[in-house]
Amino acid sequence: MSRLYDTVEPSVIDDHILKLCIEEQGPQEEAGNIARRDGIQYEEVQTLRLDFKNILRIENLWQFESLTKLQLDNNVIEKIEGLENLKNLIWLDLSFNNIEKIEGLENLTKLRDLSLYNNQITILENMDTLENLEVFSIGNNQINDYDFVLYLRQFKELKTLGIKGNPICEKPEFAPFVLAHLTQIIYLDYRLVDQNLRAEGLKRFEIDIGQIVSNEEAEEKKRKEKQALEKENYLNKEAYVEGLNSDELFLSLYEEDSEGEKLNMIPGADELLAEYRDKFVAVCKEMYDFGKSQKDLRLNEVAEFWKCLNDAKNSNTEEASAAINVFLEFKKNITEELNNSTDQVIQEAKLNEYNDEVNKLWDKLMSLEVQVVDQLEEIIRDFERNLGDMVNNFVEQIQGMYSQLRDLENIQFERLQELCLATLEKVIKGEVPDEFPDDLRDLFIDKDTVVNALQTSHDLHSLRIDSREDDMISKIKNWSSTMIEQIHDEEEYKRNRKRVIEINRLIDYFRDEIDEPADLQD
Amino acid sequence: MSNDLEQLDDENELELDIDQTAEAIETKEVQDLKNELNKIIQPIVAPPMFPPHPVKCLNPQDYPESYNSNSKKEELVLQYVDNFKTQFQYIYPDRKTLFMAPYNECGIEKFVCTTIRPTVLKFSRLYDWKECAQFVSDYLQYQPLKESTELPQTLFSPTHTLKVQRGNCFDYSVLLASLLIGAGYDAYIVSGYATREVCNMDQSRTICPFLIKNEEKKIETKKKEMGKYMVKPPKDMNSKYQNSMEMKVKKKLEDEALKRKLEHERNLAELERPPADPLYGLRVHAWVMILSGKREVAETFFIETLTGCAVSTKDDEYLGIESVWNHKNYWVNMQSCIDGTAGLVFDLGDCSRWEYMLPSNDKPTLLVPNTDGIEDEEESKDVEKHLDLPPSWVNQIEITQKDFERRCPEGKKVVFYKKSKVEKFAPYLLKDNMILRITEYLDSEMKDLKQITEEFIHRNDQIKKRVINFQTGWVVETFDRGRSKYLKEHRYQQSKAGPENERIMYFYHDARVDGLRCREETPTEMCEHFENRPDFLYFRKVIFDKKQKKFGPQDGDNYRPILKIIERYNRDSNKKANDDIHELVFNIEGEKFQITYHRENSKIAPSTREFLKPPNWNDKSNTWTWNIDLHQTYQAGNENKHKKNVELYQFLSWLINQEESVKNLVRKSEEEVKSILNDRTHEETVTERTVSIYDTDRNEKAKQYKMDIERRIADEKLRKQTLDVDYLAPFLAEKGLNDKQPISHQAASELKERCLADLKQRLIEKANLIQKRYEAESNEMQKKQQWYQANQVNMSREDEQEYLEYCSEALFKIHILELRLNRHKEKAPIKYQEMEQRLKADPRLNQFIRF
Repeated sequence: MSRLYDTVEPSVIDDHILKLCIEEQGPQEEAGNIARRDGIQYEEVQTLRLDFKNILRIENLWQFESLTKLQLDNNVIEKIEGLENLKNLIWLDLSFNNIEKIEGLENLTKLRDLSLYNNQITILENMDTLENLEVFSIGNNQINDYDFVLYLRQFKELKTLGIKGNPICEKPEFAPFVLAHLTQIIYLDYRLVDQNLRAEGLKRFEIDIGQIVSNEEAEEKKRKEKQALEKENYLNKEAYVEGLNSDELFLSLYEEDSEGEKLNMIPGADELLAEYRDKFVAVCKEMYDFGKSQKDLRLNEVAEFWKCLNDAKNSNTEEASAAINVFLEFKKNITEELNNSTDQVIQEAKLNEYNDEVNKLWDKLMSLEVQVVDQLEEIIRDFERNLGDMVNNFVEQIQGMYSQLRDLENIQFERLQELCLATLEKVIKGEVPDEFPDDLRDLFIDKDTVVNALQTSHDLHSLRIDSREDDMISKIKNWSSTMIEQIHDEEEYKRNRKRVIEINRLIDYFRDEIDEPADLQD
Repeated sequence: MSNDLEQLDDENELELDIDQTAEAIETKEVQDLKNELNKIIQPIVAPPMFPPHPVKCLNPQDYPESYNSNSKKEELVLQYVDNFKTQFQYIYPDRKTLFMAPYNECGIEKFVCTTIRPTVLKFSRLYDWKECAQFVSDYLQYQPLKESTELPQTLFSPTHTLKVQRGNCFDYSVLLASLLIGAGYDAYIVSGYATREVCNMDQSRTICPFLIKNEEKKIETKKKEMGKYMVKPPKDMNSKYQNSMEMKVKKKLEDEALKRKLEHERNLAELERPPADPLYGLRVHAWVMILSGKREVAETFFIETLTGCAVSTKDDEYLGIESVWNHKNYWVNMQSCIDGTAGLVFDLGDCSRWEYMLPSNDKPTLLVPNTDGIEDEEESKDVEKHLDLPPSWVNQIEITQKDFERRCPEGKKVVFYKKSKVEKFAPYLLKDNMILRITEYLDSEMKDLKQITEEFIHRNDQIKKRVINFQTGWVVETFDRGRSKYLKEHRYQQSKAGPENERIMYFYHDARVDGLRCREETPTEMCEHFENRPDFLYFRKVIFDKKQKKFGPQDGDNYRPILKIIERYNRDSNKKANDDIHELVFNIEGEKFQITYHRENSKIAPSTREFLKPPNWNDKSNTWTWNIDLHQTYQAGNENKHKKNVELYQFLSWLINQEESVKNLVRKSEEEVKSILNDRTHEETVTERTVSIYDTDRNEKAKQYKMDIERRIADEKLRKQTLDVDYLAPFLAEKGLNDKQPISHQAASELKERCLADLKQRLIEKANLIQKRYEAESNEMQKKQQWYQANQVNMSREDEQEYLEYCSEALFKIHILELRLNRHKEKAPIKYQEMEQRLKADPRLNQFIRF
């Protein structure tokens, strides 16, 4: 099976090998010395070559997180594994191994160049996530049917394909077939594609390709529709009105309500139910529309707030930066003067002047910061108030609508009660028609049973409506409070901290800088 | 009549001669007496009864007939015109006679409307009115009217005007109107009054139109939108009262400055105003008017035909309008021209304002309620019947390509404007292909030069324009695309044209590989601006030291030493701001590298880094060692990772290499400047001209090529003619027919039969001929053979030899004849069929014969 399998003991990827490779492949000479002094950090290594090492298993590579290029060619690897952590990998070479199955590449979404040349692969699979694949080398393998072409159609970026040396390649119409089906390919087997051959293939397999394309298009369309639906749902959720544009809430009322369903079977109840349902759904729809419009309003408000906030921050930063630039100009001049003069007294005076300027700059920067803190505080307060008003308004309106729903439920309850009592009388008198359901007959034993059943159903409905209301209101309140909290935290507290630290660091740096040449001169 | 006058003149002269001879003899008394007598007797010269004909046509035979005579219809129109004129004069005795039927160049009266000949010329440039007007004003030379207050008695045809290339304002207008109407404009000739300056084409008080720059549109800065959450500006601590007081003082000063400026301007205008004109308002002038409506002309305007400029109808240089006309009709202005042309309404359909001459008025007339409408209608109908305008008597206007290019008479023209002089030249007229030179002066007397602008065309060095400013000493040269270094503009000081002096060069940066847009130079600095480079470099500045004076022999490269190189880069969005270099300073003098990174948006200061060059960096034999003290940095963010020593080491070695390559680039730039300057001086001394490949007139190569092609076509034709022997010709001749005549059905079939029969005959004849020869040869052969057999015994060796030779020759001949016969037998039917086919296809026969 393998060239060296019998004779030489396969080696293991261990610390020793890795260090050796890295040192060998890393910076040389002086830079290498410095690097050795610094020590090697596996997680910073960009490229790694582990070829001709007689490796059997891929292991111990999980630390190499920033690796972009990995060469494992000319080993005796049998299974692709242990590459899950190398998410930045762009270049992967697994040629001249004993791999039989493509697997374990799902996480390598950035992969652009994949070589599996000279292995034992028969099917292309498990590569759907490699959307950026540009170069794919699968020559000298065991592929012997045309399915791989269909599989490769999904890689839109694929430019180069190496396929030579597979059993399938022996077929006479192989090249035109591949070229016609994979129109994105520019190089086949490292040669520029012959357009005549492709045209010939396109002509010959016109019908097949048309079929494939239409299938793909249909799938794409389905996928898009699904996406659109999901997006719509998501948007509705953001407005807290998911399911309110249909009869979902109404249906949920009767979900676990067996008594209610039974009661609806009373002759004449279906009319009541239909009327109830129409009214209920109408209110839901109203709520839906209102929720949507409120959401737009809220988002606009938020966007406006962020725009102004960022504007204010940016203009303040610009101002500070301008002040620093002025200072830098001054610094340049004064260092020149310092270097030019040798007079101790003048130098002393200049140094004092410099220190004064640094202090002035600090004053200026800090006052700017204080100013922006005040400004931001004010607008955040305004925003908080407005958003609070908005949320309260929303909650009030929604509550009104829910009470409408409750009223509807009460009316329905009363009407149903009347109907039930009338029916009960009939049952007692034995005037009910024959088709009166049996399990309903069980309910109409006496008044208490009927009324109890009614009451349970009604309570259940009210509970559903209440819980939905609570859910909605708590969600929106939660949203606004988290956002406000975050704004306070990020924009008021943390931003200020960062800026103050930056100012102080900068000022310290300026102070140190001027001290240094003075030190040197002493 | 005129002969008589001349005779009289002669006699007078004779007498004078006698007087003169006598003068010497006569005494003083006689002289006195004579004087006395002269005082008493004043000879009264009566005005001539009939003024001489204003036009003397010496060669009427050179003109076409329509120029020399009037057709019947024209006569009729002239009568009508005369009638109109008389009536008009009768009704409005105060008004000047109308300009309606002047003499043409042959001395024939022609109605002015028929003198307009709408023409479209083949030059696409003349489709636009601006170009058209400019062309007319350039092409002709102006002759003022003989009597500036009288209408001219003549009006020449546009063809004549073009031929002699000069004319008065009426001739100009006729030519221009013809071209404009031809191009689709609603153009009219206007006869009226204008100021002295306009009538004399005196432009010395107007600003040169080439110097009026288009005012740059001011881009209005967008007002910042007031957001709902705009932050409040910090409190203003200044005193409002103080501010307002300051503002007041400032405003006062500004007002005064403005006032002074205005006063100054007024004084200047006063000084420049021309002296009063005694004939103001009486000077006759003609120009062209374009009415709005056609060809997307939005507003009615005048064109001053003498200068080719557009003028507003409200211009105060134009003092009145008598009449307007185009090729269809003639309108007389009935509006008052008290305040010039400003108050006029140009609605020619309005009968109360514009009196039309021909009732076939295609302008929508205003409906005026008419008391005797029926009568009027009848009348107009009556008139319409015999009064539509005859076609123009003028021949088609033609301008040759050569004349169009030459434009001005003699190919050049000089116009004086206010403080400036404009000279125009035809292309290829001057050695350096200059087409325009504008000389500006500081004063009105044109003594102090201010600036000279020269424009060139078809130059091999692609120079387009050169502006020499004599006040600053700067020269600006502009070039077209197509030079080897993509130079676009070159500014330099005239006195210091050599390298390493102050200059600015602009380039076509999109054509250059290095994206260089501009290079500015001073003796100690060089700045280069780049655009759209993949490495985001946009600016490089080099600071030079003064050249060190060397003693001894000069080395090959005598460069200025470089003190500092500054490079600036744009933000590369793929990199982090902290890793993206903004400014890179190679401080060569100070042995330092200073790097400033881009500033992150949320930070107030950018990160910086500074490296000192290691002491032995230049030592090739040893690698230099890294030392942490070589490096100094400020990192804007706390969170940024510190670079590792390896990275810093690599970075520094990169910088050291980079410095060398940048230095090389700088040297290359200097070399480029030198080579460009060398090219320029060379080009200026040679001034090669180019000829466009489309210019078939001048392009020798193209001419040669064209002639070659023509000759080849002619050759081909000749060969073809000799090849195609007409097989039908003898039979046609036999029948007495020729190619052009249609051939009757019977004749055609007969012809065909004859032709085929003839061919058959000839084929058989040929076969017979060959057969005959064959037989003859074989007979001869047989005879010889018999003779040989008989005399074989007593034959000498020579005879035998001779016989054998003969035999082989004869056998060969027989063999050939046999072959020929066989081939003829094979070919003959094919030939016959071919002939049949050809006859079938022959257009002269096949219209009748169906095979």
